[in-house]
Amino acid sequence: MRDLLAVENLQQVFGGRTRTYAVDGVNFRIPEEPTIVSLVGESGSGKSTIARIILGLLRPTAGRVLYEGTDIFTRDRKWRRKFRSEVQAVFQDPYSVYNPVYKAERVLKLVIRKFGLAKSKAEAQALMEEGLRAVDLRPEEVLGRHPHQLSGGQRQRLMLARVYLMRPRLIIADEPVSMIDAGMRASFLNILLDFRENHGISTLFITHDLSTAMYLGGEIIVLYQGRIMERGRTRGVMQDPQHPYAQLLISSIPRPDPRRRWEEDLSAGPLAEIGAGISAGRDRCLFAERCPAVMDRCWGARPHLQAVDVEKASEASRDVACYLYS
Amino acid sequence: MPALLEIRGLSAGLQGRRSITQVVSHVDLDVQRGEILGVVGESGCGKSTLATAIMRLLVPPQVLQSGSMTLRLKDGKSYELLDLPEADLRQLRWRHLSYIPQGSMNSLNPVLRIERQMTDILIQHGLTREEALKRSIAALELVNLEPRLLDSYPHELSGGMRQRVIIAAAVSMRPALIVADELTTALDVVTQRQILQELAGIRDELGATILIITHDMGVVAQIADRVAVMYAGKVAELGTVNGIFESPLHPYSQGLIGSIPREGGQRVEGLPGEAPSPWNYPAGCRFHSRCPHVIDRCRAEAPALLPQGEGRWAACHLYEPEVLSNA
Repeated sequence: MRDLLAVENLQQVFGGRTRTYAVDGVNFRIPEEPTIVSLVGESGSGKSTIARIILGLLRPTAGRVLYEGTDIFTRDRKWRRKFRSEVQAVFQDPYSVYNPVYKAERVLKLVIRKFGLAKSKAEAQALMEEGLRAVDLRPEEVLGRHPHQLSGGQRQRLMLARVYLMRPRLIIADEPVSMIDAGMRASFLNILLDFRENHGISTLFITHDLSTAMYLGGEIIVLYQGRIMERGRTRGVMQDPQHPYAQLLISSIPRPDPRRRWEEDLSAGPLAEIGAGISAGRDRCLFAERCPAVMDRCWGARPHLQAVDVEKASEASRDVACYLYS
Repeated sequence: MPALLEIRGLSAGLQGRRSITQVVSHVDLDVQRGEILGVVGESGCGKSTLATAIMRLLVPPQVLQSGSMTLRLKDGKSYELLDLPEADLRQLRWRHLSYIPQGSMNSLNPVLRIERQMTDILIQHGLTREEALKRSIAALELVNLEPRLLDSYPHELSGGMRQRVIIAAAVSMRPALIVADELTTALDVVTQRQILQELAGIRDELGATILIITHDMGVVAQIADRVAVMYAGKVAELGTVNGIFESPLHPYSQGLIGSIPREGGQRVEGLPGEAPSPWNYPAGCRFHSRCPHVIDRCRAEAPALLPQGEGRWAACHLYEPEVLSNA
């Protein structure tokens, strides 16, 4: 089976003398069939760097990104143009992507013109209205308005309308709902689900908010300091995380249910801050200094992702980078 | 026992050239001693304006329009916050009323050590240098920070640690009321959990009362005792956290709780429409244009916040006695 996108041994190192490993040997793939893959992690876990590399905005220090088997940094201009139309981005800030001087619908008009989607003005108008309806926006509440007259949720959905017109195969969405209101979030996420089900569009969904990843389902990749700690079906990982970091992360989600409060009090005891063990080098498990199950081995060499058998037969595969499972 | 803070008919707005645009309208709210009260709502609902009004820290063009706020301390003293002159307020703030504004972890002075920033406030309130240092160390312990942190500069600390320093500074005078606005919004979930658990610990240890302002329903569900749901500048519903999450009465609270993404692949619907801005709050019930249960009365008459039993209050015509008896 061919992959839509394959990320191979990706590494991104910033800085000169003090090297910062933003992404450190990351491998994953997004299959041909429409799917949603969530990339989750805390700030500094490298998730946005991975997004920027996949979009071709940043050249990795090492490793490569293959789209339909071709390296995305190829010099073939025709190929790159196709890649840019098939892989679309939705960013975090629904305020800064618009030019305030122009009317909001310019983002739609531009793609229609640049990619020759309509033959006449009337056709362009009809196409815009179709795009807006696909993302639950009424054309009359958006057309003719300036960006500041729209709410954050409307602006973010307008970006999805633009994506819809492009009919890409893959959306790279970097924290798209973190700045929009709770009431609007569900409808934004529903649009991504509709895109997958009705239009065959896959999404790489990058977030720090695990509850949105849980809602989207599909697959999940848990990152920590630039490395993948665990990967599997979202529902399986959420219900039964294997890596101690994934366990800590998932148990810390503030669940919107007052009858299921956090059990263990994490506030007692000294804090193990991220980076406290920087002097210990990187040839080890990076979670070791915070891990409740740490062993001598964890400090000796980097644990690699390995398939782990989980009880549930429904789950195709689960990969965990932890010595507890090898 | 009377409430620690009794807010009655509080209105605040924005002063324009000709008129005042009301942002917070006739809020009645009792903050009970020792509780964690969560104030939730979407952006623009007036929750931060309410917090700043409680602290009497509104800055032009924000103006207080009317209402009263009574703070009753344990020692029997009570203060009418809206009548106090600025000099008295300054004595009250930090000592009895403490405020952690949104984004305050980025407000530490980058060129001063933490020690100076924490003790300065205490010295300002009449403590000696030595006492101030002792208090600062005790406060840092409450948030699991080591005393040696006092020698650091803000840039040496992570976001979570800076937020803890802010909390420690805010509680160093052992205030009766702590108002925290979006305390953990910029932090990752593990740090968020630790800090919220520390905050709950501070409530238990100091016997403080905490008003937490947030847009995150998960945060409220995890640590609040009671919840006030705000919509378009008014309190739509007030009740215990279990009551609000399990049987919300107001159609807005129902929509808000219904739109929370759930696990298990079940789809939820978002709230249709947009919240009105203070410049065009609709007449009658401000939620009526988005409400699935709207009746004629909602368009004409604003509902009052009325008791519904078991400590629940709702501002909705559906729950007024005459409507219920006609149904």
